[in-house]
Amino acid sequence: MAHYNFKKITVVPSAKDFIDLKLSKTQRKTPAVIHQHYQIHHIGHFYMRKVKFTQQNYHDRLSQILTDFPKLDDIHPFYWTMLLKITRATPSTARQKQSLAYLEQVCQHLSHLPTTDPNTRTPLLCGYPNVGKSSFINKVTRADVDVRSYYLRWQAVDAPGILDHPLEYRNTIVMQAITALAHLRAAVPYVMDLSEQCGHGLREQLELFQNIRPLFINKPLIVVANKCDVKRIAELSEDDQKIFTDLQAEGFPVIKTSTLTEEGVIKVKTKACDRLLAHQVETKMKGNKVNEALNRLHLAVPTRRDDKERPPLIPEGVVTRRKRMEMEEPKKKRERDLELEMEDDYILDLQKYWDLMNSSEKHDKIPEIWEGHNIADYIDPAVMKKLEELEKGEELRTAAREYDSDSEEKKKLKILESKEKNTQGPLNFLENESCSLGVDMDNKGDAHYSVQEKKGEDSAPHSSVAWSRSCPQTPRDVSGLWDVKMVKKAKIMMKNAQKKMNRLGKKGEADRHVFDMKPKHLLSGKRKAGKKDRR
Amino acid sequence: MRIEKCYFCSGPIYPGHGMMFIRNDCKVFRFCKSKCHKNFKKKPNPRKVRWTKAFRKAAGKELTVDNSFEFVTRRNEPIKYQRELWNKTIDAMKRVEEIKQKRQAEFIMNRLKKIKSYIKFRISKKSSKTSMLSEPLLQAKGSIWNRKWYSRCKRMWIWKTNQ
Repeated sequence: MAHYNFKKITVVPSAKDFIDLKLSKTQRKTPAVIHQHYQIHHIGHFYMRKVKFTQQNYHDRLSQILTDFPKLDDIHPFYWTMLLKITRATPSTARQKQSLAYLEQVCQHLSHLPTTDPNTRTPLLCGYPNVGKSSFINKVTRADVDVRSYYLRWQAVDAPGILDHPLEYRNTIVMQAITALAHLRAAVPYVMDLSEQCGHGLREQLELFQNIRPLFINKPLIVVANKCDVKRIAELSEDDQKIFTDLQAEGFPVIKTSTLTEEGVIKVKTKACDRLLAHQVETKMKGNKVNEALNRLHLAVPTRRDDKERPPLIPEGVVTRRKRMEMEEPKKKRERDLELEMEDDYILDLQKYWDLMNSSEKHDKIPEIWEGHNIADYIDPAVMKKLEELEKGEELRTAAREYDSDSEEKKKLKILESKEKNTQGPLNFLENESCSLGVDMDNKGDAHYSVQEKKGEDSAPHSSVAWSRSCPQTPRDVSGLWDVKMVKKAKIMMKNAQKKMNRLGKKGEADRHVFDMKPKHLLSGKRKAGKKDRR
Repeated sequence: MRIEKCYFCSGPIYPGHGMMFIRNDCKVFRFCKSKCHKNFKKKPNPRKVRWTKAFRKAAGKELTVDNSFEFVTRRNEPIKYQRELWNKTIDAMKRVEEIKQKRQAEFIMNRLKKIKSYIKFRISKKSSKTSMLSEPLLQAKGSIWNRKWYSRCKRMWIWKTNQ
């Protein structure tokens, strides 16, 4: 069965337009010039050609329109009921006009219909307006679409709210929905709103359900109790609860869902698909064709060679996955959820996902650079070994260096040693020695030698005048002032004098450097009244 | 974050500094400052420009082959972070740095000692000819000595004695 694409139907022009079109075409395509003095049969031929051409064109175009337009017998009853509704919907005046115009309208209507394939399995959502069908679809389509791999395709059809008016007053869109219901091969989850937020009470919803039931005879039906996050079945009154139990008793499974918390949404989808499939299989089995097929089928089984059990291997991952799908475990917490929870305190911490050998190190701050070297270049699991070798080499070298006699350090050591030895000068040594030997050292003044002071020792500052000038005893900022007040004032004066210099960024009072002898902004452009030194 | 090496002078390029030039054959050249970049554009070989590290190494003025240099290699496969390993590496790094610098200094010192001894020899040789000449006079005798060589030796001597 073909998938109809009504949008491809050729445009049907109105009668007037049609004629104009064809005539202009003939004018363009056939020779236009003819002269009086031509032979008569030539003139006749010329005009006949034009007539034939126009005739041909008309024929072509009309037949094209006819072939493109779907034949009522060929198309799915779904579509021709739609068509009938459309014809009923178009105002009667349109029908009185030229039939071409009418056709055109019909075509337009058809092209506006959504492309639905009536033969694929569809769960068809219906229920009162505001019950939550659209949100249900949103959840389902955004969620796992590849849940069941053994379905080729399935599509969800959302039926806009079906109001409970008497049949005649229902408008076009609603009629479309109803026709769809009757003809599609669908499972029908009927969505009800438990909390009665849609504006219609439970009773009303049930009434509607009963009304529409005759359309659902051949189709598996599920009752979906939506908005269960607001109100649970257990919270309803006794009577209402009884209704649900009655429904269940009649064979319609009742599933509680909430599109907000996404409870039960997947359940509904899988249940609907399952039941539909089962239903279809049933119908096929009932038909005659199946028997023929079955006769031709033969399942070959290998003969057993021993008593060993060889069950099919189902990998662990698949088993857990299936369990999860059945149980509908709570979703993994996503970063987004965490962000919403923490609001302002939220920090994106990607380090927690790292896969390290020790998970306790995940939040370490890893150093990258040390003193101009990249740490990453040095990292090696065998670092310590290498280092050991290096150290060994270094030891050998230092040993070799000690025997090297020319080193500076040796000299310094020698100097130090010598210093340590002679803390006393030779003359002091002489004096001490003589004392110890018993020589009388009282009259030092007559001695022919004089003990000089060591040059390196700290001596008191010289008292000569020249020396004092170069290092004065009173510091300069208080010399000449005899009062604390005066000192303060002097300081202030000093600072004031420096302010101008500092503001201009000068190095000192002597800095008279001009950076820009001819500043452009002062010398270029037209000079208006009195502006030469500032612009 | 990495510290790269300047193509021209072989100095470190810290993040946020310098320029990078990519040639049509996809070779990447990094420069630490515009001096290096401008020199590169003037096309001489860095191995011939005296102030670059490349020249010094090529001319044998600095230590080139040593065990301590083998610790630094650019690794293509990153190793997963382990605290212990990182700590050990950093300690090793510090020790290696120490040793490396010691060895490099030693190398240069050895080189200069040779020069110093040569200078001594030359000066003693000269002094045997012209004894007790004062410095300015020495310089004036340009015809006898090669001035450039002399000034170089003098520079090094001064540097050495200041150490």
